Amino acid sequence: MDLDFSKEQVEFREQVRTWLEENAPREIRPEMGPAMREYDLAWQRTQWEGGWAGISWPQEYGGRGLSLLQQLIWFEEYGRAGLPGIDACFVGLSHAGPTLMTRASEEQKTYHLARILRGEVIWCQGFSEPDAGSDLAALRTRARIEGDELVVSGQKIWTSFATLADWQELLVRTDPEGSRHHGISWVICDMHSPGIEVRGIETIEGGAEFCEVFYDDVRIPLENVVGGLNNGWSVAMSTLSFERGTAFTANQVRLASTVEKLIDLAKERTGPDGRRPAIADDEIARRLATARAEVASLRAMTYAGISRNMHRDQPGPEGSMVKLFYSDIAKKVYRLAFDLLGADALRFVSRWEPGGWSGNYLYSYSVSIGGGTSEVQRNIIGDRVLGLPR
Amino acid sequence: MDLLPTPAQMEIASLAADFFGNELPISVIRERRDAPVVVDRRIWSESAELGLFGLGIAEELGGAGCELAEETLLFREMGRRLVPGPFLPTVLGARVAALAGQHETASAILSGKATVGLALRRGPDGFDAATTPSTLDGRFQLLDAADSRYLLLLDPAGAALVETAALTDVHSEPAIDPGIRLAEARADAVPIIAWVSTQEEPIRLRALVLTAAMSVGIAEATRDLSTEHAKVRVQFGRPIGVNQAIKHACADMAVRAEAALSQVLFAAICVQDGRADAEFQALAAKSIAGRFAVENASATIQVHGGMGYTFEHDSHLFLKRAHVLEHLLGEPADHLARLVAQPAAQ
Repeated sequence: MDLDFSKEQVEFREQVRTWLEENAPREIRPEMGPAMREYDLAWQRTQWEGGWAGISWPQEYGGRGLSLLQQLIWFEEYGRAGLPGIDACFVGLSHAGPTLMTRASEEQKTYHLARILRGEVIWCQGFSEPDAGSDLAALRTRARIEGDELVVSGQKIWTSFATLADWQELLVRTDPEGSRHHGISWVICDMHSPGIEVRGIETIEGGAEFCEVFYDDVRIPLENVVGGLNNGWSVAMSTLSFERGTAFTANQVRLASTVEKLIDLAKERTGPDGRRPAIADDEIARRLATARAEVASLRAMTYAGISRNMHRDQPGPEGSMVKLFYSDIAKKVYRLAFDLLGADALRFVSRWEPGGWSGNYLYSYSVSIGGGTSEVQRNIIGDRVLGLPR
Repeated sequence: MDLLPTPAQMEIASLAADFFGNELPISVIRERRDAPVVVDRRIWSESAELGLFGLGIAEELGGAGCELAEETLLFREMGRRLVPGPFLPTVLGARVAALAGQHETASAILSGKATVGLALRRGPDGFDAATTPSTLDGRFQLLDAADSRYLLLLDPAGAALVETAALTDVHSEPAIDPGIRLAEARADAVPIIAWVSTQEEPIRLRALVLTAAMSVGIAEATRDLSTEHAKVRVQFGRPIGVNQAIKHACADMAVRAEAALSQVLFAAICVQDGRADAEFQALAAKSIAGRFAVENASATIQVHGGMGYTFEHDSHLFLKRAHVLEHLLGEPADHLARLVAQPAAQ
């Protein structure tokens, strides 16, 4: 049991901190559209040129192949620097990319991986459907084989950044006889293909990254299937645990600094009695202290998870506990921010602007839904961590 | 960085766990419900022989030379097994005596001849941080003082040992938890026989971490009790654990236990290493573990249905001890007030 970082790791942290200070984008991230795409890609390109792209990617695919503790340090510093998430680059870097590394052919890897890393392309995810949400295996988007092509018809939903994406990791049913997990294929879909129609879905915070995607006889070369025809379920599941517990670190550091900002805010603002600062209100002070204690334990939990993963090859299902705990805390923290502002919270400020507490409060409703709902996380914990009967 | 206990550390914890499992099973609490003390003398001598009281005390002071990390794992095991008796004040009392240079007192405690009960002050904290106090005054709630030669008082300014016999007006009171013994007493110019200031040694932070470690044990044990019951209890032809109402309650218990354990281990290292945010982390640990132990224990009663409401079942013993721990060393609201006043974590 120790919290010591080696001399090399301390130097590495210095290096990361200096590089981020000198190279991080200073402009506020555009909220939507091509400007946002360009912003995210430019930042990814900067990281690539600086030698910081793909910190968890193996070196053979152009990544840094950093150790778990170095990844932790990178994400801690990244969060501390107040940088936005990797957003539009997320699917490529953290999901599609790692899937390709594990299951794609050499040609597929050669073509796609470097482009993701260099910040040339945006990927999106085509998994969920209107009738296949938490129950992903109920997906019905069909692909029939015609010669050396797949012809895809159906609909996907909750696809972030589909309007801006070049490529999509797409799950389709290639064997109509196959039931549930059988007969699904994982396909690389060119988002510029004829027959694809993308419609935006406005979110409760006014965000525009959410989309639904319609496929009307979209032709995809058979060679774009990854991991073999009808093997899509196992391909989709193969990278769920790629990050090994470090990926959430930046979010947590961000949440911890949000709590510190709220404590400062509570000292500056007048509280609910209209006379004293908000922090003099016992209820507000206790909620702030509770938030501090909870984000501290969230960090400790991440450290424990990383420590566990240092001693084994495959991460366990405990990541679901971090995700669930994070979601609960994040919602409480942004609700606290909202309450702290009193009636001023009714004035809408987008989460991309300074003081965007109302936008962040609304956005926080997504954290217990996206990436597997909190209910699904509880099922995973019950089944796989505790071994409860299904 | 590696937050997990090493195999050697786990070995210490599991030796202690075996000892407690054999000598002080939870059933002892029920059996000795009406006895004046829960833990008899023999167990104290055996615990002393195992070196449990001086585990975290330096070898030159008569201890085993381990650190707070090992003690934390020891107290987690005590929480898991609901070990009764004044282990916490005895371990900390031995430390206070040893650090204050009271070697006879220290060796009486370390050898199991004398135990130390806990004195909780009624009213605001009493000592002035700038001076070394020589006497103790005021009203106190006493925990497991019945057969204890000494009493330990933990104050933000420091830690004091006094002789139990020097207190007056001592009368025992019924306790919510049959595993503890409660009393009320007063002190009028009671001589302090050993004093260690907070500047010399953060005894109170150690106490917060070790108390939180016992809460962690309770959070883990109740998670396991509930999970086991959910697997074997059959209703409507299926184990109740297939139902999300039960499964999700167990999952929440698992998250709370994991969060509490992680934070307590983290805090133990911060206090042990004397990190600048040691107090922040210890208060966070006490607050999180205290609350989560109560929440897990109360959920456990619900998961067990009617059985959970009986005296015969262990659930209520975990709940009651969780409440005792939550109120030790300052109220939860007091800890939160101190936590929000701390500088940010490191």
